[in-house]
Amino acid sequence: MKYISLVALLFPLAAFAGDANYTLVIREHRFQPAELSVPAGAKIKLQIENQDATAEEFDSYALNREKVVTGHGSATLYIGPLNPGRYPFMGEFNQATAQGVIVAE
Amino acid sequence: MKYRKFAGMLCLAAMLAGKAYAGPADYVYTPNVEYGEREIDFKGGAYRQPNGGYAQGESIGFGYGATEHWFTELYLKQENIANQVANVFEWENKFQLTETGEYPLDVGFVTELESPLSNNTPWELRVGPLLQTEFGKLQLNGNLLFERAFGTADENGVPYTTNFSYQWQAKYRWQPAFEFGMQGFGDMGKWDAWNRQADQVHRLGPAIFGKLPLGNRQVIQYNTAWLFGASSAAPNHTFRLQVEYEF
Repeated sequence: MKYISLVALLFPLAAFAGDANYTLVIREHRFQPAELSVPAGAKIKLQIENQDATAEEFDSYALNREKVVTGHGSATLYIGPLNPGRYPFMGEFNQATAQGVIVAE
Repeated sequence: MKYRKFAGMLCLAAMLAGKAYAGPADYVYTPNVEYGEREIDFKGGAYRQPNGGYAQGESIGFGYGATEHWFTELYLKQENIANQVANVFEWENKFQLTETGEYPLDVGFVTELESPLSNNTPWELRVGPLLQTEFGKLQLNGNLLFERAFGTADENGVPYTTNFSYQWQAKYRWQPAFEFGMQGFGDMGKWDAWNRQADQVHRLGPAIFGKLPLGNRQVIQYNTAWLFGASSAAPNHTFRLQVEYEF
């Protein structure tokens, strides 16, 4: 039984079904849209497409996510389910311009 | 007198064997990998065994996020356990196996190979899955680790076995510079035949964590814990600290 329990812990549980899909674009070191509304209480699949030639790092302490997106590359983040509220994020490599917020409502 | 000397040797042998899976500078692995991240990493810790023996360890390492799913780090480590000093070279590789948040459990895997730089320690390999989940601002980690020293027996004739240990932490993400929670470490003995309860080593205690931005993409990260012995074989008090400079 001990071994079965150990082996079971090696594998993740089944994925949530029906994640809501959203896209953020990075262009000229800005997020578009800069404010993204998502449903509260739902798991979100967030695709980030970097149209700039240089890498950017999506960074959000509120969402507990950090992810580097290579130049002309893309990355996928999974966030939530979120309580209603505002969750700021930024591009760590271009903080002066790359600012945004996810609004869960 | 002979009996006391023999008992002392047994204790020393147990401590040296124990060192293989309960280093004073041990830390809690997390499964996340950050591509392109470079870090200089310092770890240290100390404890006093129930029999009075003192143990201390420090390491310094350089790590790099080589891909989105692979982080590699090289360490130089020194441990002083009951006046037996061991210097080792360590190569740690961490693999992120699932995207953060994609499943209810985030899963990673760690391999850690220790090569002795002094002649009183064996080669050692530690492997195991790294698990993480979050509930709002609460982040939970749990790791299952299997460790083996190469060779048939140590210098005292104690045969090497594959041992099982665990680590866990609960962290409340209050604010970036100061987060708080608990950490725990346990050594169960042989992986398929755990020690009797009195010989298992369980430690747990309060921990704090934080991240201090220095600007220009440079960050200091820290976590430290004061662990209390939760079993008779465990040290009464353990202090451990990890500081990383990321750039």
